[in-house]
Amino acid sequence: MMSTTYKGPMPGGPSPARQIGTIAAVVLIAALFVQAWIVVQARPQDLVTGAHGMADIIARALPPAFDQFKPTLLPVLETIDLAIFGTVFGVVLAFPLAILAARNLTPAKPLYYAARAVIGVARAVPDLVWALLFVTAVGLGPFPGALALAVHSVGMLGRLFAEVIEDMDMGPVEALTLTGASRIQVFTHAVVPGVLPSLLGIALYRFDENLRSSLVLGFVGAGGIGFLLLTAMNLFQYQTVALLLIVTFVLVACAERISAYLRTLVA
Amino acid sequence: MSSILGAPGAEAFGPHSRPHDRTAPRGGARARGATLAVRNLTMRYPNGHVALHDVTLSVAAGEMVVVLGSNGSGKSTLMKCVVGMNRPSAGSVEVAGRDLTLLSGKALREARLPLALISQHANLVRRRSVLANVCCGTLGRYRTLATTLGCVPRDEVGPALGHLAEVGLAELAAQRAGTLSGGQAQRVAVARALAQAPQVLLADEPVASLDPEAADEVMRLLRRLASHDGLAVVCVLHQPELATRYADRLVGLRRGRTVFDRPAAEVSQREIAELYQADA
Repeated sequence: MMSTTYKGPMPGGPSPARQIGTIAAVVLIAALFVQAWIVVQARPQDLVTGAHGMADIIARALPPAFDQFKPTLLPVLETIDLAIFGTVFGVVLAFPLAILAARNLTPAKPLYYAARAVIGVARAVPDLVWALLFVTAVGLGPFPGALALAVHSVGMLGRLFAEVIEDMDMGPVEALTLTGASRIQVFTHAVVPGVLPSLLGIALYRFDENLRSSLVLGFVGAGGIGFLLLTAMNLFQYQTVALLLIVTFVLVACAERISAYLRTLVA
Repeated sequence: MSSILGAPGAEAFGPHSRPHDRTAPRGGARARGATLAVRNLTMRYPNGHVALHDVTLSVAAGEMVVVLGSNGSGKSTLMKCVVGMNRPSAGSVEVAGRDLTLLSGKALREARLPLALISQHANLVRRRSVLANVCCGTLGRYRTLATTLGCVPRDEVGPALGHLAEVGLAELAAQRAGTLSGGQAQRVAVARALAQAPQVLLADEPVASLDPEAADEVMRLLRRLASHDGLAVVCVLHQPELATRYADRLVGLRRGRTVFDRPAAEVSQREIAELYQADA
């Protein structure tokens, strides 16, 4: 009988070296958490002593000011429109960028790096910072918020779209190329049908994200419910704040449900 | 148009019969006397590995040639060189009188039109219908705005249905390609290749992922396309029993060299076995 010497890890469990590595990793993670605790000046006791203040605010917020519901409708529409604008522009700009940024489809390496750089910058800068920049450029109102969402969406969608394109099955692409189809025909007949459902799903998810972001953008003067919420808090109108929080919750929950349903349709 | 698989002649190529009494090519629309001529083909990869040494192969219209060989013997490299996916280091590949090795870009695309390839995987666009997939085989002949925007050529819908009937799948025309079984998908790939109106049909391990029954169906179909429609068929296989049953000629490759190239009836089982043992 032929005998062989096995030098790999034993199936009984991890080797001593691997066990030491695991312990070291756990210690490292614990050390990171401790330094984070110190840096953020975490004081759990303040939560207990501050509970009275929280209870006071909640008491002053009840009942919510439902008579203020009608004036919130336009800001609600504004918030939804911010998300629609940001998502549509994001998709329109991200798709061609993603094609250039996908290794398997990019026509040239310099274009690949350029597209990756644009996507990287758009993604690295938070939408709140983009909003502050656009408020400076075009003034207060929903437009800078919409632009901020669009630019940030280009970054987020561009990267996700590129990953979907890179992971696609290249078999149909090769097959159509060999039938003599042109590059653009191969793209429209093999690439687009192959990746479209995934891209639509991601775009719908992005709309969901943009809706939530658009609420926060209002805090820096980009309109929508966020702006109304900030104003109400500054004026200590806690009952209006309570109403706006309920509206926000309903809006986000509805958007999540609709987005999830539409994603199942395109899957 | 009747299905090839369902046609009366198809039964002649049953699992236990040798189809060497097949009829001569009909000389139909596709039988234009085209041949594939591979001459002194050598393929050396950038890392120095020589995958093909001086391989010569000629396939006439109506002839079915099966290439046998173990893994790494150069079969797939040969196919890739023939379709222009790999540029050989030396030698020529002539299809319909044009040397593909001298061409590139648009000229290569056009010269490659008489040549269709079926791979181990059907490579269909899963979310499109079976009919749309078959119509895609004709895209090389159309440069219209509509086809550029993703529409299939309207004029090709009828012929595409005919090709589907030929492979016995006309009733599945409207079905999504992703819902097909492996054997059905491979037959749709054959229909797509037929839509290309090829003179040479290459099949790179077309039955590798199919069960024996589906594999037999696909091989019968290829055999029929050679003998009935006059296509020059080159098929790479790993199944010697299918090769000897369906091929006119067998070509054995070992370490990139041609070991034998003879009529199937003249190749012994021992020679085939040695082909696989040599590199084991």
